[in-house]
Amino acid sequence: MAGVLIVEDDKELREMLKLSLLRRSFTVIEAENGRDAIAHFKPLITDLVVTDLIMPEEDGLKVVIKLRELKPSIKIIAISGGGKVGPGSYLNLAKALGADAIYSKPFSINDLIAKIEQLLDNEQLG
Amino acid sequence: MKKKLELSDSYDYLRFLTKEKDISDQIINHSRSMITIINRDYIYEKANLTFCNAHQIVLDTILGKSLGDIWGHDTFQNAIKRNVDLCFTGKTVQYEATFMTPKLGKRHFEVVFRPLSVEPGKITHLLAETFDIDDLKNSKQAVIQKEEELRKFESNLPIGFLRCDPSGKILYANKAFLMIADCHDESSVTEMNFKNFYNEEELFEMQIDQLIGSHSKNFGRVNLKNSYGKEIPCRISGFLAVNESGIPAYVDFAVEDCSRELMLENRLLQAQKLETIGSLAGGIAHDFNNILATISGYSEMLQEDLPKESELSDKVGKIQLAVKKAQSITNQILTFSRHLEQEKVLINVAEVLKETIGFVRSSIPSNISLKSRIPRMNANVLADPTQLFRVFLNLMTNAIQAMEEDGGTLSVNIEVVEKEFVQHELNKDILADEYVLLTFKDTGEGMEPSLIGRIFEPFFTTREVGKGTGLGLSVIHGIITEMEGEILVSSKKKEGSVFLIYLPVSKNYYHNKVKKSTRKKILFITGNKYESRILSLALESAGYELIFISDGENFIRVMNNIRERPDMVIYMSDSKQINPDDLVEIFRNQKILTPCILITDPNQEVSEEKLLNSGIIYQQLTMPVSLKEIRNAIQELLR
Repeated sequence: MAGVLIVEDDKELREMLKLSLLRRSFTVIEAENGRDAIAHFKPLITDLVVTDLIMPEEDGLKVVIKLRELKPSIKIIAISGGGKVGPGSYLNLAKALGADAIYSKPFSINDLIAKIEQLLDNEQLG
Repeated sequence: MKKKLELSDSYDYLRFLTKEKDISDQIINHSRSMITIINRDYIYEKANLTFCNAHQIVLDTILGKSLGDIWGHDTFQNAIKRNVDLCFTGKTVQYEATFMTPKLGKRHFEVVFRPLSVEPGKITHLLAETFDIDDLKNSKQAVIQKEEELRKFESNLPIGFLRCDPSGKILYANKAFLMIADCHDESSVTEMNFKNFYNEEELFEMQIDQLIGSHSKNFGRVNLKNSYGKEIPCRISGFLAVNESGIPAYVDFAVEDCSRELMLENRLLQAQKLETIGSLAGGIAHDFNNILATISGYSEMLQEDLPKESELSDKVGKIQLAVKKAQSITNQILTFSRHLEQEKVLINVAEVLKETIGFVRSSIPSNISLKSRIPRMNANVLADPTQLFRVFLNLMTNAIQAMEEDGGTLSVNIEVVEKEFVQHELNKDILADEYVLLTFKDTGEGMEPSLIGRIFEPFFTTREVGKGTGLGLSVIHGIITEMEGEILVSSKKKEGSVFLIYLPVSKNYYHNKVKKSTRKKILFITGNKYESRILSLALESAGYELIFISDGENFIRVMNNIRERPDMVIYMSDSKQINPDDLVEIFRNQKILTPCILITDPNQEVSEEKLLNSGIIYQQLTMPVSLKEIRNAIQELLR
């Protein structure tokens, strides 16, 4: 089954995401900040990454750029609870940097999972 | 002199007389005045040395000459003769005139003619004394000029100057002080006492005491009352002058009106405070959104695990509703702290304002009148029209609430103002050449001065606990600031409040130009005239072509007409004539594949199950929606 990396510094939220993905039989890898996510990235077993954007120790934008570089075919979903850099929001910036989808928190977990399945399905079709 | 007369020797006396004559001749000759004796034929009979020197001629040549010979016949006829003749009538004549003398050139003189009589009862001669007052005159003029300059200096400076005696009685005050004092009668100022301008007379006396110790002192800011009792914050410094015996003679005060400075300082302080609260609240909202995401995620999973339409499932539904409500609050906080990005289009503010006024007018209480003047104007700004609608609606609703009990007038105005005006009003450098200035003025209960500075803070409310979140004005502040505009308020208890909004006019004419052939057609199903008009303004500005309908019949008709068939349907839940279930039915029966956006009320329950089963390609949004949300949904569905 497809591997999903969750990068989220909020422990409860990370566990919720993990549980919901496990319920759909995804393989789940966790990282609690951007630095760990990049350092321990396993391209072979990771098909998709769900990353928070504002985190201590390397923010999510760095994760988007770096992982896309390490594995160009990876699917990326950015999630954020709000926040702006300059005139644009983090989420829009993440999209511009190559995130396939963005969600602002709080989001519907069913919507998110539907999105993950859609992105990975397209991947298989392609 | 009398003693000398006692001399008995006649020779000695003669000698004395001769000597005495010599002395008086000496005095006369060396006087700085020109002294002459003139007879009735205007002929010089005597002249002193000073006169001779001035005309550079010896005495003998002068005697026997006429006034005309010496001063020129024209000068004599025009300037001298009249005065001489007057003197011969027995009067002493004194006047000033400018004459030429060969030695001194053109100078200013004072002339005195005194009648003399050699024969009794007849004026035979006159004594002419001519003083050179040129230097005196010049220095006098210099003094006058200096005084004039000083007067200009102190009357042009926007600082009030006044001189008073140590008891405070005003001796003199300049124009600027009269302005500060709001005193229009210049002459009455000397009947005033400076002491009376103080809130407490003791403070004035204390200042005088301090000046006695140090002569001059800066007292900093002091509130003075003007003639109408209005308090004016002023910066005051004083100087005390003493007389020769060291007793205070008078006191000079410089009084500078610093109300504008104080107002700007306060405004800056408020802005900084809002910035601080903003980043604090933004951070908290961000953390809260994380927590809400966790709650919402688990409750969604729980709902999946529970049998549908069970009591427990209902309870989980309530949790999800609460999450939605909490999210709307965190969103408002994020808007206030400008952590949310606004989607902006070029839009005419006047149009949005007109729509909002129309909306408000339909529900305004009868004891309140709404006055507005919205001329046709080019007031294009970059904004999310739905946000602007919220701002205007909120301000007007607040104004109406403030007048609910006693009635009143709400005046709404819009005008375009020049950069310079805005620069002065806002006291900062600005980029746009023009601004739209919107004014919302009510005659309601007004606010206490202490509250005015706080109304844009989040969670600050003057209403009872439980009525509203107190986020309204803070959100408005966030929206306007995000647009690089400014919102200002002034208010007086019992008189009402005025809100001013400045928005930069955008000259970006080409911002939303979309080719007509590539424009996407959207069918708008709505019952609410105003709110949907705002949304439609936003969408039209964003380059979409809109068709409006309000009932199912027309919906079917439009969908069956190939020419009119839209690329997308937007359904607003306020459509009274068609409910979501009907819509779903139509979609299913007519086998419509056009994607649809459903905009529903947060309290409205729409059966998701039904929607999912109907096969409609849809996205659901809850009110209030932003332009950004709609555009995202449109883009998502058209992909």
